[in-house]
Amino acid sequence: MYALHLQTGPLTPMLFLTGPVFAGRQDGVLLIQSRSHIDEMSPEELIARVAAHRDRAAFKALFGHFAPRLKSYLITLGLDDEKAGDLMQETLVSVWQKAAQFDAAKARASTWIYRIARNKFIDHTRKMKYPEVDADVHLASFAAPEETDRPVIDGQRAARTVAALDRLKPAQAEVIRLSFYEELSHSQIADRLDLPLGTVKSRIRIAFEALRRELGELQ
Amino acid sequence: MTTEVKQMPGLLPDEWLVSYAAGALTEAQALVVATHVGYHPALQARLAEAEDIGGAFLEESAPAQMDDDAFEALMARIDAAPEPAAPAPLPAGDEDLPAPLRRYLGRTLDSLKWRTMGPGMKQHKLANGPGGERLWLLRARGGTAMPVHDHRGTEFTLILRGSYHVGDQHFTPGLMEVAGPEVKDHQPMIDEGEDCICLVVTDAPIRLHSLIGRMVQPFIGL
Repeated sequence: MYALHLQTGPLTPMLFLTGPVFAGRQDGVLLIQSRSHIDEMSPEELIARVAAHRDRAAFKALFGHFAPRLKSYLITLGLDDEKAGDLMQETLVSVWQKAAQFDAAKARASTWIYRIARNKFIDHTRKMKYPEVDADVHLASFAAPEETDRPVIDGQRAARTVAALDRLKPAQAEVIRLSFYEELSHSQIADRLDLPLGTVKSRIRIAFEALRRELGELQ
Repeated sequence: MTTEVKQMPGLLPDEWLVSYAAGALTEAQALVVATHVGYHPALQARLAEAEDIGGAFLEESAPAQMDDDAFEALMARIDAAPEPAAPAPLPAGDEDLPAPLRRYLGRTLDSLKWRTMGPGMKQHKLANGPGGERLWLLRARGGTAMPVHDHRGTEFTLILRGSYHVGDQHFTPGLMEVAGPEVKDHQPMIDEGEDCICLVVTDAPIRLHSLIGRMVQPFIGL
């Protein structure tokens, strides 16, 4: 639309009303316009731009949002500042390189980036490759009756998920946090909390069900 | 709408999907879970929901302090990195098996060395993990009655080919049986017909009932 104005002659008064941002040279106008456009993009759209155009401005926007959070999350998992910074970089190198493999119909951006970071963390701390579910390869012969579509989901869900976790009974939230933040197995959680194994499993199931219900209502 | 699949027999209960999502499984457990999930689109969606929890924890982390030149440092690393190699193609054959297992094996089931472990039963050991955990493949002839056993730990059995039943429960390719210490006198009966091939993870030695079974157990390594 703005390109059309620029082609057809001087900027219209209406455009000048939008503020000093448009007072610069014409190429400056275009630059500012494209930047504010990126600011409004969802992480999923930014990843798509990185995939399609190797777009560094889009990647910088992703970096601005995720790098400080990745580093903080990795520190929470027990890494020191330097190693957390290193694995944050490794994760984002993979985001850049694998952007074309991201499928917004199958996962949220934060979930996809979490998955990459989790695998880097396991690779680093346990010297093993975490076997991945390969969503790109379909087994045509198993058109399972329970097949389902996964709707695309918006960015507000993260806050809702964490809020829902806070609303769980403390005993239920605890088993989820011990799983994600300390990567404890069911029996390790049972030992830590001095609970029967079956209780740990049912608490995880109930907590997950409550979180799914919360997120299901958003779809 | 989200799916309701957890009550389907032969599909992995949620607590294991949550632990996979959290990165809390051993390599052997993660392999059998990833392979199982590879058969079922509904489980893939459900696993993605469990991983959304991790995504939410990431999203809600308090941003850490970053160096001023952090982005430039990252781009320098990206520009210096070699082009990533294209992912290795899956080995030919065994197109009926999910990708995680085919990639892990790197070859077909038929090309593996199978060792006899009892009448009608062969095994191929894949890996030993922490705490006595073993990852292995079982190949049982159609019509074989497996030895009666109890479990001291958790046993995952994912059916890849053929089928078996335990009581009135029927396990076919893609279905998983999880048997814990509460399961006593466990005796799968292999259905008549083709060999039944299963991917198995045991995290403690199983307890065989028969004297002969207990005598050979140290040698077959279960």
